[in-house]
Amino acid sequence: MSSAIVADHLGKTYPKSRPGKYALDDLSLEIPTGRIYGLIGRNGAGKTTFVRIAATQLAPTQGTVYVLGYDVRNEERQIRTRIACVPQESRPLYFLNSEEVIYLYLKLRGLDPRDAHRRTMDAMEELSLLDIRKTLVSRLSGGLRRRLLCAMVLASDADVMFLDEPTTGLDPLARREVWQAIRRASRENRTIVLTTHYLDEAEALSARLALIESGRLRLEGAPADLRNRVQYPFRVTIQGSYPRDELATYGKVSEIEGGWLLFTREQEADEVAKRALERGLRISMGPVSLEDIFLDVVGRSIDEETEAEEPENGAPGAKA
Amino acid sequence: MSERNRLRSVLTLVQLNGLIPIRTTPLYILNTLASPLSFLFFIFIVSRGSYLLYGITGGMVLTTMTVGTSLQSDLTHYRHDLKFQDVVVASPVEAPTYVIGMALSELVYSLPSLAVFIALFLLWGHPTALNLAVLGGVCVLVWAFASALAFTLATYFQDVRETFLFSPMISLVLTVLPPVYYPIAALPAWAQLAARISPTTYAAELVQGVCGLGPLTLTSAAIDWAVLLGFTAALFVLAALKARWREP
Repeated sequence: MSSAIVADHLGKTYPKSRPGKYALDDLSLEIPTGRIYGLIGRNGAGKTTFVRIAATQLAPTQGTVYVLGYDVRNEERQIRTRIACVPQESRPLYFLNSEEVIYLYLKLRGLDPRDAHRRTMDAMEELSLLDIRKTLVSRLSGGLRRRLLCAMVLASDADVMFLDEPTTGLDPLARREVWQAIRRASRENRTIVLTTHYLDEAEALSARLALIESGRLRLEGAPADLRNRVQYPFRVTIQGSYPRDELATYGKVSEIEGGWLLFTREQEADEVAKRALERGLRISMGPVSLEDIFLDVVGRSIDEETEAEEPENGAPGAKA
Repeated sequence: MSERNRLRSVLTLVQLNGLIPIRTTPLYILNTLASPLSFLFFIFIVSRGSYLLYGITGGMVLTTMTVGTSLQSDLTHYRHDLKFQDVVVASPVEAPTYVIGMALSELVYSLPSLAVFIALFLLWGHPTALNLAVLGGVCVLVWAFASALAFTLATYFQDVRETFLFSPMISLVLTVLPPVYYPIAALPAWAQLAARISPTTYAAELVQGVCGLGPLTLTSAAIDWAVLLGFTAALFVLAALKARWREP
């Protein structure tokens, strides 16, 4: 399968950042054409910096990114004709009504009015926005505004779509609708680059995932394959008293409320489960979740804040 | 992007940032009228009517300059608070198309103000084809360089509040200190020299000269046009080289 985006030893330091601080550090990855590619990481890990460089909004410091075969450093004009982006923390213009947000964006991109109108109606229907068609953006909730921006980009004719935290602030039902629209765009052979800190979203949507921490690529692959890439692909939860030292021989153990959480290999998981059951303890076991993988690789929860990527909002992530 | 699509993008920006906000909040129009009419009123009272034509022609120049200061605030707000510039950057719309569209949209707000001043000029300005053409040409150049300057600055500001700091200073340097509302001879010698730094001095000299409010020879007119065009070209080059369409 061909690659829509290829990042080649990409590095980024912001002009006002402290010496030695990298927002992106020697990051190389390939994003296949026509697939949904998830970028996961804590806030400030480097996801948005990557998206902004690939979307030609930000210049790289080292290395480059090729989008649809064009170099972001000097072929940005060719790239821009074929991409669309919902930036993180973007908001639609508040004096427009919902329909105008999508319709005018499409016309701005050069679509003829008839095509723009048809695509606008389709997108509004797909994301259940027809009821607020004539409502001013200033009267919409934060979630509806975010949905509107997703509809705007997903209605476009772009071959590559960058969605930076598209579902932040959306209720579960609205999230599912956005997911459906993203999947539909992918079925139309559009490449979707999705950054999110909702791991369930990343896992549900992405054909491949990249885990970024401190500006570096820490893990990359199909969600199912990621489990085989960690040392302990199975988790066992034991409720009750069990000697910690004994558990530690099987893998990585941590105390949880009322028992233990063990990360281990499949064979050892079976063995521990058997022993725990013999002791009359309650257990649950299964493959590790994406959250477990994240915790294992990064050593911290995805919800833990890191330093911001851009110096305007704080200092960039530290070089690992 | 084809020329047809560029034109469509420009017109869409005019609709998006000019016509629709006016439809939603018509008070925007009164806002653009307020400053130039206030100056005109003030000058009319103080000069007991003798500087009325200075006030009218100055009002036109100030109105077109105001397009630049408004543009600066809007572009900063859209870039920083709404991330609209990032949305546009990641699209087929190029920077010149964006600036032209946005600058034209700001001009839409100023059209009623310009219409008032044109009406006043037709009534009291002894209009001729020549002075109307010069007035129109000067206003177009002032609009163009003010827009180029606004775009360049807006790509550097980190907060819309910074524009509140800079806009009055730019207005001071470009419309109040230069003899836009009065003859340059009214300034002390040192100030006349200092006013030469501002391109609006040359714009005012041309307008006042062609309206019979001050001396204007063929040579001085040629110098005024050359300086005005040169300054506009320089600000276009500055925008092309230094404006941060893509952030460093």
